[in-house]
Amino acid sequence: MLEVSNISVTYGQHHALSDAALHVERGEIIVILGANGAGKSSLLKAIAGLLPSPAKIVKLAGRDLSRLPPHEIVESGLALVPEGRGVFGELTVAENLLLGANPKRARAVEAAQRAKVMTLFPRLGERLAQTVRTMSGGEQQMVAIGRALMSNPDILLLDEPSLGLSPLLVRELFAALRKVRETGVGLLLVEQNARESLAIADRGYLIENGKITGSGIAAALQSDDAVRRAYLGGLASEAI
Amino acid sequence: MTNAVLTGLVLGGMYALIAMGLTLQYGVARIMNLSYGEFLIGAAFASYWLFTGWALNPLAGLAFVIPVSFGISYLLYRVLLTPLVRRARTRDALEVDSILATFGMMFIVQGIMLTMFGGAYFSYSFLAVPVTVVGEVLALNRLIAFGLAVVVGLALYLTLTRTRIGTSIRAVAVDPIAAQLVAIDVTRTSALAFALGGALVASAGVLISMFLTFSATSGVVFTMKALIVVVMGGVGNLLGCLVAGLALGLSEALVATFIDPGLTLAVNFALFLGVLLVKPAGIFGRAQR
Repeated sequence: MLEVSNISVTYGQHHALSDAALHVERGEIIVILGANGAGKSSLLKAIAGLLPSPAKIVKLAGRDLSRLPPHEIVESGLALVPEGRGVFGELTVAENLLLGANPKRARAVEAAQRAKVMTLFPRLGERLAQTVRTMSGGEQQMVAIGRALMSNPDILLLDEPSLGLSPLLVRELFAALRKVRETGVGLLLVEQNARESLAIADRGYLIENGKITGSGIAAALQSDDAVRRAYLGGLASEAI
Repeated sequence: MTNAVLTGLVLGGMYALIAMGLTLQYGVARIMNLSYGEFLIGAAFASYWLFTGWALNPLAGLAFVIPVSFGISYLLYRVLLTPLVRRARTRDALEVDSILATFGMMFIVQGIMLTMFGGAYFSYSFLAVPVTVVGEVLALNRLIAFGLAVVVGLALYLTLTRTRIGTSIRAVAVDPIAAQLVAIDVTRTSALAFALGGALVASAGVLISMFLTFSATSGVVFTMKALIVVVMGGVGNLLGCLVAGLALGLSEALVATFIDPGLTLAVNFALFLGVLLVKPAGIFGRAQR
């Protein structure tokens, strides 16, 4: 479904990411694990066209998106929920969702998508007239994901959706992502919360110092000693 | 007293309308347009020319002036300003560049108008019929100008809040990066907002020409007043434009009637500074960034 390769991102002299490649299929949850500053966010931003990556190759269902500007990438079926959510704080929930359905591909199915989002996040339905800035972090994350889903994407990219949420909310959020997968959308998830994200993922990639250093099915990664030491054990001790 | 208030409301309605256009250009397209008032005067001359040369009613002239000014502003953004947008690394850099570019443009537009019309003051008599409103006599042209300003302002407000394209324009004002993520072409939408601002100031120019005298060099006064109103109301806020515009118009009329007409500019700035001392981001502005 989504195939990307040759993704390199540089900030001045610093190589944030070199030659990353991965693929995501329909109805699959893929998680990218890595420490802070490993290049995870840069990877998603480069795929979405927000960061320049001159030699990148991005193909969605065989269509070449490598040279498209960000707004046309969304139009082609790839939606990003950015780090820090990127919601329109000054606008209402309803307006954010309306804007989500801005791509032409979303117009015909707008009502159906809205119904899906409302079932997924019933709380948004109760708060349609609320200004997003005044909502809690968890609710804003729902708005961000809901808005991305309104664009009727084939693939959804999520940058640290669990950041800043309570454990209970994280579980709720990941349950919702699982439901999104059931609708046939492919999810590419960047996470620091390795334990929870591996639990819902089908496959995973490991990223270290700007390079993809490993990949595998989620169950195998969960029981891999190196992964346990680097992400699962480390995370548990961080939490204390 | 009543007369001063009515005069102030009419004037304030005009200021609000002018400021709404500038807040679109500055708040959405991020262009601080110093030649803004020149476009108002340009439209006033167009209206004068249509009325005296072709006997065309200024209100009918609006149907001609609005689309033309929209087109000119759109092209201006696309041809002259888009290169600046492309090369600007940050919003602040774009602001500085756009100030310099539009400052130059101000002299060009002004120079053209001076060559065509000279430096004299112009006016024409259209619907200068006295009508009685709440016991006071007012010229009909002022009343119509005020009514149309209300209609245009309301139409703009409804477009921005009730339609998808209007919501997109506001989204670009709030967060141009995130706007790309909902498939908004930010450059195109900015051009649209800039052109819409140009159309608004042109319609204000036509309305003002019906009851005020103007010359090729009086644009700068309107640029300055629009700026004061926008900053005082809070950048990008239409309601702020309305409140600040009316406050400015009323204060001018009251001071001119009861103290001295020479003090209107002074009271402009006293009000401006007073508001900014209490609310640095404007009446409806939120401190951000």
